[in-house]
Amino acid sequence: MIHPSVEAFALAAVLLALGAALVHRLRFPPLPAYLLVGLALGERLDIETLEPLPSLGLLLLLFSVGLEFGPDRLGQLSQRVLRAGAWDALALPLGAGLGLATGLDWRGALLLGGILYVSSSAVIVKLILDLRRASSPESEMTLGVLVFEDLVVAFLLVLLGGGSGMGLLGGMGLAFAYWMAARWLGPRLSRGIEGFSNELVLLAGAALVSGSASLFHSIGASEGVGAFLCGMVAAGLGLRERLEHLFGPVRDLGVALFFLTVGAQALGLIQGAGGLAVGLAVIGLLAKLPLNLWGAKEAGLNPKRQRYAAIYLLPRGEFNLVLGTLALHQGYLLVAQVAVILVLVSIPLGSVLMRYAPEWFGKLRSSAGGSPRRV
Amino acid sequence: MRVEEAVLPGVGRKYTISVRSGDRIVVVVHHSGGRELQYYEKGELEEPVATLDLTDEEARELGAILAGVLFAPEAVGDTRTKLAAESLEWVRIEPGSPAVRQQIGDFATSGVHTLAVLRGGEALLPNPAPETVLQAGDTLVVAGSREAVERFVQKVRA
Repeated sequence: MIHPSVEAFALAAVLLALGAALVHRLRFPPLPAYLLVGLALGERLDIETLEPLPSLGLLLLLFSVGLEFGPDRLGQLSQRVLRAGAWDALALPLGAGLGLATGLDWRGALLLGGILYVSSSAVIVKLILDLRRASSPESEMTLGVLVFEDLVVAFLLVLLGGGSGMGLLGGMGLAFAYWMAARWLGPRLSRGIEGFSNELVLLAGAALVSGSASLFHSIGASEGVGAFLCGMVAAGLGLRERLEHLFGPVRDLGVALFFLTVGAQALGLIQGAGGLAVGLAVIGLLAKLPLNLWGAKEAGLNPKRQRYAAIYLLPRGEFNLVLGTLALHQGYLLVAQVAVILVLVSIPLGSVLMRYAPEWFGKLRSSAGGSPRRV
Repeated sequence: MRVEEAVLPGVGRKYTISVRSGDRIVVVVHHSGGRELQYYEKGELEEPVATLDLTDEEARELGAILAGVLFAPEAVGDTRTKLAAESLEWVRIEPGSPAVRQQIGDFATSGVHTLAVLRGGEALLPNPAPETVLQAGDTLVVAGSREAVERFVQKVRA
């Protein structure tokens, strides 16, 4: 007697592997393939039997984003990068204003602003690694801007996640408690934790992530922000490298399944989407380009690198979907549709643009470069 | 020589090293342990002349050769050629290893010399005494025949 989830998992894994193998041949990152496999399968994929892997995948993804993009990183960024982050953040009020103009109330407008604003740290890091761009100057700026974005959106999620009244207060209280734990408790406990075995760290980490998510959910706050804050606490405990190492493969598996289910559920959600949702998504994609070009210029990148940086920040992902789910639960169908369209379009589009950017913009000579290139 | 360090969240750390000749080397240390090296000629800011990928192990060996400490012949009390025939291994003491808070002498293995202990933030400790107490995060530099070193590694990691 075999549990049905094993069969569903086997089928999903085979399809994902096929998709990954196909794009690998084209020297292409695998994430868009997972989404497209999901889209192609659509309703035929029984998502419920795959659980809890996709849900855990998203939580672990947000956990590792919190681990890597926590507030302590802000202090390590240069002034120039912070300035670029501030330019980029203008997309949030811009998006919210757009939401108000389309007749949403302030809550829906802020959700829309967040969805148009935040780019996906997880997707972009993966693309930078897969395309071997880690050492370029625009990657440094892009990753710094993502730290900025993730903190702003985590704050936004705390504000909007808990409905109203008690939920909001509880969410803020919990978030504050986690922040204090990361700051004060972490450094004091980190020496003791160093001696823990890998197995213990893995299990305790898993318990902490899923426990925090459930805790945040139970008081009516966003479970995604729970997982993110949890990563921040773990970074405070000095576990950044170990957890990254221990959770990496599990997370990647879960994330592949998560994007598969996103693709599979997307069709049902966007079938009723009108021109307004598509228009908002397109405006969101376009509006950030000039902001990031200006930001990159402020950060001191040359014109070619400015274009690269603006392209790198296109992909939307985990936080947009978290915000979209929240919007759906709070009754803003339009906002949720915008989120799904953005993710579906921006990941493949961003991957293609990032992949071919050097070939398209490579001929632009940098004004800062100075001497001609030796052959 | 000028070294600039930058954090790449989610990726690792980036070091930009400018040497006296005006050439630059960019080193990215990935969380996965791999290293990415890029070499830029003087005045060239855009395209690296050469790139090189190293595993964690290769990078450590290269680092030791560049530092010029670990291949000094007196370190094993033997000749250079002898050393070349043997195996040099960098053994990290992971948290949770049985060797944490134990003396090096407790893990003595015949045919294995402990050449040095590398401890974060401290100067290299050459020819450590058997009473030296190990800490999590230490890296031992050991030399010996492949089989002997293998046995030693098993003991420390068990």
